[in-house]
Amino acid sequence: MPYPEELKRLIKKVESTRPERVARKKRNEEVPFLSLDDREKVLQYHPDFREEGRRALNIGPSKGYKIAHEMADILEAHSRVKPAQIDLTKWDYETDVLIIGGGGAGTSAALLAQENGAKVIIATKLRHGDANTMMAEGGIQAATKGHKDSPYFHYLDVMGGGHFKNVPELVETLANKAPDAIMWLESLGCNFSKYPDGTLKTIHGGGTSRKRMHYAADITGAEMMRTIRDEARNRVSDIQVLEFAPAVELILNEHGRCAGAVLYNLETEEYFVVKAKAVVMATGGSGRLHMQGFMTTNHYGATGDGLVLAYRAGVPVVFLHTVQYHPTGIVFPEQAEGILITEKFRGSGANLVNIDGEQFVNEREPRDVEAASIIKECVVKSKGIPTPTGKLGIWLDSPMIEDLAGAGTVEREFPGKYILYKRFGIDISKEPMLIYPTLHYQNGGLEFKATGHTGLPGLFVAGEVGGGIHGENRLMGNSLLDIIVFGRIAGKSAALYAKNEFKDGKLSLEHAERYNKEASAAGIAEDKVAPMILPDYTDPRVRERQLTTHYVGTLR
Amino acid sequence: MSTLDEGVAKTEIAAKLIPIYVMGKKYEVPESLTIMKAIEYAGYKYIRGCGCRGGVCGACSTVYRKPNDYKIYTGLACQTVVEPDMYLTQIPFYPAIRATYNFYELEGRPEEIYELYPELFRCVACNNCTKVCPMDVEVMDYISALKRGDIAAAAKISFDCIQCGLCASRCMGELAQYHMAQLARRVYGAYLTPRADHLKTVVANIEAGRFDLGVKSLKAMNQEQLKQAYQAREMEPATAGEDWKPKESIGL
Amino acid sequence: MKVSYYPGCTLKTHGKGLESSALACLEKLGITVEELPRWNCCGAVYSLADDDLIHMVAPVRDLVRAKEQGNEILLTLCAMCYNTLARANALMKNDPEKRKTINWFMDEELDYAGEIKVVHFLDFLRDYVGWDKLKEKVTNPLKGLKAAPYYGCTLLRPKEAGIDRFDNPSIFQDCLRALGAEAVDFDMSTQCCGTYQVLGNPEASLKVSFDILKNASEFGAEALVLACPLCDYNLGKRQGEMKNKLGLANDMPVYYFTQLMALALGVPEAECHFELNREISLGFLKERNFLKASA
Repeated sequence: MPYPEELKRLIKKVESTRPERVARKKRNEEVPFLSLDDREKVLQYHPDFREEGRRALNIGPSKGYKIAHEMADILEAHSRVKPAQIDLTKWDYETDVLIIGGGGAGTSAALLAQENGAKVIIATKLRHGDANTMMAEGGIQAATKGHKDSPYFHYLDVMGGGHFKNVPELVETLANKAPDAIMWLESLGCNFSKYPDGTLKTIHGGGTSRKRMHYAADITGAEMMRTIRDEARNRVSDIQVLEFAPAVELILNEHGRCAGAVLYNLETEEYFVVKAKAVVMATGGSGRLHMQGFMTTNHYGATGDGLVLAYRAGVPVVFLHTVQYHPTGIVFPEQAEGILITEKFRGSGANLVNIDGEQFVNEREPRDVEAASIIKECVVKSKGIPTPTGKLGIWLDSPMIEDLAGAGTVEREFPGKYILYKRFGIDISKEPMLIYPTLHYQNGGLEFKATGHTGLPGLFVAGEVGGGIHGENRLMGNSLLDIIVFGRIAGKSAALYAKNEFKDGKLSLEHAERYNKEASAAGIAEDKVAPMILPDYTDPRVRERQLTTHYVGTLR
Repeated sequence: MSTLDEGVAKTEIAAKLIPIYVMGKKYEVPESLTIMKAIEYAGYKYIRGCGCRGGVCGACSTVYRKPNDYKIYTGLACQTVVEPDMYLTQIPFYPAIRATYNFYELEGRPEEIYELYPELFRCVACNNCTKVCPMDVEVMDYISALKRGDIAAAAKISFDCIQCGLCASRCMGELAQYHMAQLARRVYGAYLTPRADHLKTVVANIEAGRFDLGVKSLKAMNQEQLKQAYQAREMEPATAGEDWKPKESIGL
Repeated sequence: MKVSYYPGCTLKTHGKGLESSALACLEKLGITVEELPRWNCCGAVYSLADDDLIHMVAPVRDLVRAKEQGNEILLTLCAMCYNTLARANALMKNDPEKRKTINWFMDEELDYAGEIKVVHFLDFLRDYVGWDKLKEKVTNPLKGLKAAPYYGCTLLRPKEAGIDRFDNPSIFQDCLRALGAEAVDFDMSTQCCGTYQVLGNPEASLKVSFDILKNASEFGAEALVLACPLCDYNLGKRQGEMKNKLGLANDMPVYYFTQLMALALGVPEAECHFELNREISLGFLKERNFLKASA
């Protein structure tokens, strides 16, 4: 729906201050970036800092670690299926490398594992490619312009964004392997936006000191995902994809090595055993846990399953105490609520503006700082814009981009969002967007090394499910990078491990048995089960009428 | 400070209820919901037919009709708002053949695409594909471009394709258009546009270890030193052109 | 005068020489054409089945695009595209019942009733430029070139789509004469080359093409000039096969009329894409010194 009269009136204020803000930009005058001290002050308004929002884990390898309730709930839960009921003496599938997750990280891992001689199975919860990768819009960082940039600056920017707490070896690998990742994608036919001579177009993102954000119009992630998925489909004789088949438990063997997984057929509700020489965990993030009740930009399947499986098998979780709220999620119109508005809008010069038409923060601060500033502006300073349904938002002044870069730029550079809003009767090249922070990224995850190895032999990690690369806060453009760099590394490491180090032995789910006992001992009710697999949006009034006693009679 | 949950579970619906027909069966749903949220409101739980919930993954293509109107309408369930008396069904999957090929052996010639997808020439330009595309891609136009060997045009016209498969479901010539478009885009990206020279240079320099010392020096810093280096780094101005260079060559 | 232009698929690939030389000639003549911003394959062959309306959809859609562009004339270069579009246009103009069905089927497009005039480059030159004007613009007359104009079928038949009378046409000869060449009349200039029979019955089409070349040669032609990429394939590209199988005595150079026109008008040789013709075609022009002024 178009903006109602009340909001149209408020837009006039944005318009009245726009010429001055555009002029300032053209003179290269920035609203000053916050000092590190000032950043810390504003960050107290970030949801991560709400004590009542989190608790210490009661069981498992990271016992005592304080994380969000929603996350703790799934990590502490029981298995979905009683381990003893699974017959591990025979298996339904056997492969060299099992990859759990069919997004960008899993698919990159599959390609590299295959290139290193492995037969591969990708098990994925929904369809191959249904993943947050597909939704990432803004871009992918890499220091590809040697006259002004290098892994040195990329490293510094990543550390600064992550509050200097990131794992240095992971950041080093990320920065060093970034250009090669872009080159690999280019060779597979990924259409990055380029100048006619082939030079890649790059822009700034929040927290970058150099313009190193590469992009493919405003569907960078989709372009990358569909390209590598297409390539995986070319290698169908070596890469088998099992869709609608989420993993619900890792399988170990008698030597304590990871040796497969239990898959669940979402449609027939059967469980299947996959025996593998190596397993790559690439299940992505967890926005669908709706931490602290926030809306999310995430994919339907982003429920943190991989964290649960590996945690039960003894892999610690790190940096999970921080969650990334993307500063700019749609808050009006309501049908599009939670949908991400790429940071590229701000990279292209669009200001964040309050109800009085004032810019209150530089639009290129790191994401946590931007999000906290927006929440502060709305909640503490009461300068948010009220929506017709009583929520608060902040203006993202997209028409500025037209004034800065010429008429038609918004439609050309942001075709996806331009069309989306047009359907609602809003022309974002003329009217600003109303936004509010939205749950976006799981900064932390499973502990792993720069080679993709975890503490559990035979288990490798790639992508959002891993923790440490981004420290306490990820910069824009480093997640698409992370999945490609570490996806490729994990795929190769897993294939080499399968070839050279794997030791066969009797399959076992003892670790899950033990964990369930630990959970019971900690007083966790047996009807708390994980992984969640899919969120539940059933209306409570419908739920009240769903009274079937489970598994009695001929129909469930 | 929490805003709003996904779905409608935790929202009080004050909006007017309207009737919609899900696969022929009537449900009353709030008029402001998207088809996806309305189906969930009605009591369905998605396994298929739902993916990113943000209009880019192509999982939730939906076909519907309105009373007294012969037209077939389509949309993504996650992006389309319900209308009174709409009859809808989702088409979460539609079979489509896809050729396999060794991408690295292609040269970017139109004939390669003709050989992999000879059925391309079964197109009679009926335009059903374009009419049914929920992303407003001019599907028939990119197929026309491919038929005349214009891979670049096909790549550009098809760029917003989300591979939902609705085009294939309505094609008189039984084409799977979106797989052809995917091939065209990859061929265009890899073989018909120049590769980035600066990229090759940087990758070679990294492999030669040119930046190792610089990054090692950063790794060796304690947090205070690192903070200083971070705050001292020179920022490329927002409006700088491609040829901008930092004042100092540190780290380069 | 602004003119909409329909290229056709082959002119973007194998028939590039026809398009780029023609566009260069138009520029020399001071005529601006606008390629349809969106166009699809016309279908190449006009369907003769009375109730096969689906094959009208493709050409009619191109006509609708021309109407959208707001010009009155749709210019074509390929003889087959010309024929298909002109006949579809006639149908839309003259058959109200079929017009209604097709328009209704294509209800996402503008309604169309034959408002556009479909012309081929040859009748465009005759009717909108004039042979005298063309002659004036010639800087490099093709003096002494004995060229046989090959009409084939689709420029002349059926009557409602013919650019000239089909029993004794002169338009092609007039054009060649304006360029300074000597037009060689021959018996088989309006016989069919076999067209797409090359796919289903290649031997038969080889034979008729061979007969046409032989006939032209007997009437003293040094070169064959035509307006269709498929005719060019049958009559030009298959000469090697004719030598082996049917004993064709001498190679005959084959050109698009627009390539020769381009040379006569002083267009740079590169615009003619002679590399897509057979080698002997370029060799012949060099030998006879027709490339000098354009170099």
